[in-house]
Amino acid sequence: MKRRAFLGLGSALVAASAVGGWALTHHTEQPLLLSARNDADGRHYAVGYRLDGSPVFATPVKERCHDVYAHPHLPLAVFVGRRPSRESYLIDSRDGTLLQVLTSPPDRHFYGHGVFHSSGDWFYTTENDTAEAGRGVLGVYRVEGRQLIRSGERSTHGIGPHQLLWMPDGETLVIANGGIRTEADSREMMNLHAMEPSLVLLHRDGTLISKEQLPEQMNSVRHLAVAADGTVVSGQQYEGDPMDPVPLLAIKRPGQAFQAFPLGEAQRQTMNQYTASLAINDSLRLLAVTAPRGNKVFIWDLDTAALREEIHLPDCAGVGAVEQGFVVSSGQGRCRLVDCTGKAFVSTPLQLPPGLWDNHLRLV
Amino acid sequence: MYPNRIFRAVTATALGLLLGACAPSDPYAQTSQALTDEVLLPAYADWAEANRRMAASSIAFCADNEELADAREAFLQAQLAWAGLQPLLIGPMGEGNRAWQVQFWPDKKNLVGRQIGSLLKRKPQLTQADLESGSVVLQGLSAYEYVLYDKAVDLTDSATKARYCPLLQAIGEHQQKLSADMLQTWKAKDGMAAQLSEFPNERYAESAEAIADLLRVQVTALDGLKKKLGAPLGRQSKGFPQPFQAEAWRSDATLPSIDAALAGAQQLWLGTDGNGLKALVPTEQADLTKRIDVAYETARQHLVDIMLPFSELIADEAGRARLDALYQDIDALHRLHQTELARALGVQIGFNAHDGD
Repeated sequence: MKRRAFLGLGSALVAASAVGGWALTHHTEQPLLLSARNDADGRHYAVGYRLDGSPVFATPVKERCHDVYAHPHLPLAVFVGRRPSRESYLIDSRDGTLLQVLTSPPDRHFYGHGVFHSSGDWFYTTENDTAEAGRGVLGVYRVEGRQLIRSGERSTHGIGPHQLLWMPDGETLVIANGGIRTEADSREMMNLHAMEPSLVLLHRDGTLISKEQLPEQMNSVRHLAVAADGTVVSGQQYEGDPMDPVPLLAIKRPGQAFQAFPLGEAQRQTMNQYTASLAINDSLRLLAVTAPRGNKVFIWDLDTAALREEIHLPDCAGVGAVEQGFVVSSGQGRCRLVDCTGKAFVSTPLQLPPGLWDNHLRLV
Repeated sequence: MYPNRIFRAVTATALGLLLGACAPSDPYAQTSQALTDEVLLPAYADWAEANRRMAASSIAFCADNEELADAREAFLQAQLAWAGLQPLLIGPMGEGNRAWQVQFWPDKKNLVGRQIGSLLKRKPQLTQADLESGSVVLQGLSAYEYVLYDKAVDLTDSATKARYCPLLQAIGEHQQKLSADMLQTWKAKDGMAAQLSEFPNERYAESAEAIADLLRVQVTALDGLKKKLGAPLGRQSKGFPQPFQAEAWRSDATLPSIDAALAGAQQLWLGTDGNGLKALVPTEQADLTKRIDVAYETARQHLVDIMLPFSELIADEAGRARLDALYQDIDALHRLHQTELARALGVQIGFNAHDGD
């Protein structure tokens, strides 16, 4: 069995590799980790912590949130409500002040993901048109001062859209249409035998650039990571038989078709038909994926698809790239810093509070 | 209000960690180590021994040196050792779907029966390598049970016996090797036993993570027991009983398997001398301790009282009502562990794993 180096709980110094973001001007400080988190009584919070463990804010919010996205140059972040929430939260990331409860229009709810445009003037979310249940909508919001004003919407050209991210041009969105139809105020899946998952590239003006599907109709494309060269990786959740040998990761390299990422059979089985979050470390060209049902974090070489590391982390959740490698959170245990710069990867527990971290994290 | 509370908890945890690192007595580490030495390692050793005997039995039976009844008894011991291990599937055996190599459940489409037929047609001279490289469905106890118990296989007929014996022996060998390898992995330097005993290590940043992992697999097993009982009772099929979806229905070892799994879970709770998870419940929650004690005793007493085989109980309404009462017992145990015990031990279970987003 492969042995990897391990360090005890220490004050690991971490540098965020996130490009842009207001925090870079405060470079003497540790990166700020943003995430949704619960307390032991099941109440929901939008939280910010420095990676050395120092708390910045923990703002109580009514709805459980899913992903969070920071403004490119203002100290603002949107914590996006988890499906079928009709609320998201605009937060001052310096002190956690709740600046705005963003409410979806009638017949719309959020899916847990959103992104700011690099100009800082626009915010986009994936939403459900519950009047025509499952029809994927891209909500468009204008940033005015410290408020978001809805200005329109586009089609995501699919059912049940989930994560969306920018392609390197900053104008094209890649959208994971999960393919699952759910109705207002519900998480019940209505169309398991008629799912239509797809990966869509969409100009933010609404022009459809491409729409691609995987061969397995019940393989829901849900989460994404995009590399600086435009390589897109998607993580799937399979709704079919637990025994079906289905690719749970897929990749679209520049100029190539969307296709299965060559995943080892042992890793695929460990995932238990479920992936959670993805992150790419651009300078190291590494891909990290959390598999909470397998209680494992996997790291691959993005170019060769060789498995580089497998870390036991029960109920692992969010993952984000930092200069040395990745930071991973967990619903159950301590967050870990995985240093991938040496020959052996070194996993260090962080002095952040353990457990109760929700599905995604962002570092700014 | 809330933010302060969260931050205070952080400070307290950090403080606890510092103390934990210096103080000689860390109750979570003590419990984890005691359970490893006194419950987990013995259970893995018992499982390996039961498989060693089953492998030997398959050879003896196939050489006509052992009766079918003895071969079946060896199978039952391996089946019950495996069932008892369910709440203890922490570490390698609980990962990467290795468990499918031992037991294929639920077998909704009779894959075991169908695949055995087609395998023996393709490979009449089945070798160990054929089994190892083939479907996991046929590598374990489910296929072994089929050969020894299914009506379609008449082992009193010597030609039939000769046809199935290579499969029986190959499974015995596979199970023996798998269980011996697992025991070795547990005992190895920096293996599971060490990782559950000395902290921090590459798997657990602190003893609390090990206890959380132990409770997690216990809760998963209790949930699994509900499914194993609920599926044949028709809880996932609009109330229509599905007797062939019971665990080990061919050998009618369904209820003994459930009892063995409950016994394993109870051992994790009690330890050998009150030094199990129970020891970690704060003294002011003695009521919870009592309720969990009683819930285990109630469920296991119900199993003793039932006395009839599962196949008879599932066949009529009165029997199903008794099985349903047993289901309620296990459901109560599951809830007690998943919510109240988890909270008492400061463990969060399956927050993201069950997220579905």
